[in-house]
Amino acid sequence: MSIGMIVLLVLGLLILFGALHRVLDRMALTDRQALLCVAAIFIGGFLPNIPLGLIEINIGGALVPIIVCVYLFLHAGTAKERVRALVASLLTAAAIYALTLVFPADPLAMPMVDPMLLYGIAGGLIAWLLGRSRRSAFIAGVLGVVLADIISSASLWMRGIDQTLYLGGAGALDATVLAGVTAVLLCELTGEIMERIQTGRAHAPGEDGAIEGGRRA
Amino acid sequence: MKRSVCLLALALLLGAPRSLAEEAAHDTVFTVTGEDGGALFSIAHALYAGDEYISADNVLYRIDTVQGTTATAVRIGEEAMPDVSWLETGEAQAVFAAQDGAVAAASDSTDARKLIALYVTHSDESYVPSDGTQSIEGQGGIYDVAREFRDALQARGIDVILDESTHLPHDSGAYRRSRRTAERLLQNRPDAIIDIHRDGIPDAGEYAATIDGKAASQVRLLVGRGNQNSDVNRTFAKELKAVADKQYPGLIKDIFIGKGNYNQDLSPNAMLLEFGTHTISKERVIESTDMMADVVSTALYGTQTGSAKAEAAPDAKAAESEKNKGSMSGIAILAVIVIVGVIVFALVQTGGGKAMGEKIGRNVSEMTGGLLGKKPKKEDEK
Repeated sequence: MSIGMIVLLVLGLLILFGALHRVLDRMALTDRQALLCVAAIFIGGFLPNIPLGLIEINIGGALVPIIVCVYLFLHAGTAKERVRALVASLLTAAAIYALTLVFPADPLAMPMVDPMLLYGIAGGLIAWLLGRSRRSAFIAGVLGVVLADIISSASLWMRGIDQTLYLGGAGALDATVLAGVTAVLLCELTGEIMERIQTGRAHAPGEDGAIEGGRRA
Repeated sequence: MKRSVCLLALALLLGAPRSLAEEAAHDTVFTVTGEDGGALFSIAHALYAGDEYISADNVLYRIDTVQGTTATAVRIGEEAMPDVSWLETGEAQAVFAAQDGAVAAASDSTDARKLIALYVTHSDESYVPSDGTQSIEGQGGIYDVAREFRDALQARGIDVILDESTHLPHDSGAYRRSRRTAERLLQNRPDAIIDIHRDGIPDAGEYAATIDGKAASQVRLLVGRGNQNSDVNRTFAKELKAVADKQYPGLIKDIFIGKGNYNQDLSPNAMLLEFGTHTISKERVIESTDMMADVVSTALYGTQTGSAKAEAAPDAKAAESEKNKGSMSGIAILAVIVIVGVIVFALVQTGGGKAMGEKIGRNVSEMTGGLLGKKPKKEDEK
């Protein structure tokens, strides 16, 4: 492989690494915890999948992100935020599943953006509309893709097609992880723009994920 | 009430026997005409302004306008193709993969590893004359083509991993599912990863051709332009076409560079091959797999006769230079995305000015793990 190709590959991974670290670091995780999670997602992607019947769970692409979701869920500011996170996840899953039904099969025909980003955008928008919370956005993005995958596979299994479901099978590059990152970045950007429009000023920087009532908690 | 609506919606979603996208997957065919109104080509995918097309005779066109299912393309000019004159000399020169030391050495060593990975994103794709239908819910006829292609590559001394996982249904989530297969295959570090497809154009005559004296099918190469590896993959496609045009004139129908990703962001040596269309006989397509295997083998590993060293070959160096150019373009795209993203975030968060500069410094520091940019002050330093 040429030097240019190696640099290109490494740079792509580094950017994802940096974005993921930033996203996790901005929620209820310390800098070191965030770094540990990023490392677990990257390394876990190369470990063997965990087989559970017709489902195989990738450690980096699904298990670690789901554990992070559970952690964020337990550390949510209020009970209301927890409920919103769950509702956002279910709605995001339904939206993703509906998108795969409505949009044409070929990515060439997808409007505007690639499906891989569309999932995160759906999660980010739904989470923002429901709770204006980065934590909810990450949970909705990750669990939305996981649940949509399960719904899609369940539909096949009900028709007697035994197709294995590889949850998070592409590791750090899986739609599951990308959706979580995209959702948080979009939620953050939308929140900032709306806050600026509403209040005409920026917030004080440096707090965690919840953005209740237009202001972070 | 809300709960009932949610449950009803979920039941409807789960009960949907086939997706709307799946039903419509083979229905829409786009026709592209040149500026003079003459037909250029058809494709069973939506088209967008900016999509590009390299014709059989190596002319580059760019889609200018799209109205309904008809598009107009502008002729950009002759596309510069890689020089494969070394094919005529019979020397061993691994053109495309020669920049890889291990692969370059393969020209002189019989035990060096040659590995290609294959998978099938649209598992249901089938050939009506041979399979009786265009879509089989399970492993469609396309897997027979993939197996023949694998066997033909193996016959040339190449190790091939064909992942026969299915990625049903044939909807816009298929690439999300096949991405996992592709990533699994890439962990074996193949020299190239190829996604096997067939087109959905109703007119079999678009692909049916006599190639090397045999009734066979043409092959279309698809490159996604929505990712950082686009230029490198385009170079790969051009290498394949240049070799095919020498070895089997007419085998490669064209190269389509369209909006989309096709999981080609995962590897700079990724390619999507359209083996014929659903209305052509599978036997014709299978006839092409052996020729295509020959082309892929030659483009990646060079000819197997002669003794010239690939690493010393001027053509190999030119290929490496082309690949590096493509990589630089991808690196520039990534850099622009990051810079624009950081500026947009900093702008909306601070409104501009000095605070924006400080914000960018902090963001760059976060993105690079403190290597670059301004590190945020610790509490006790404030």
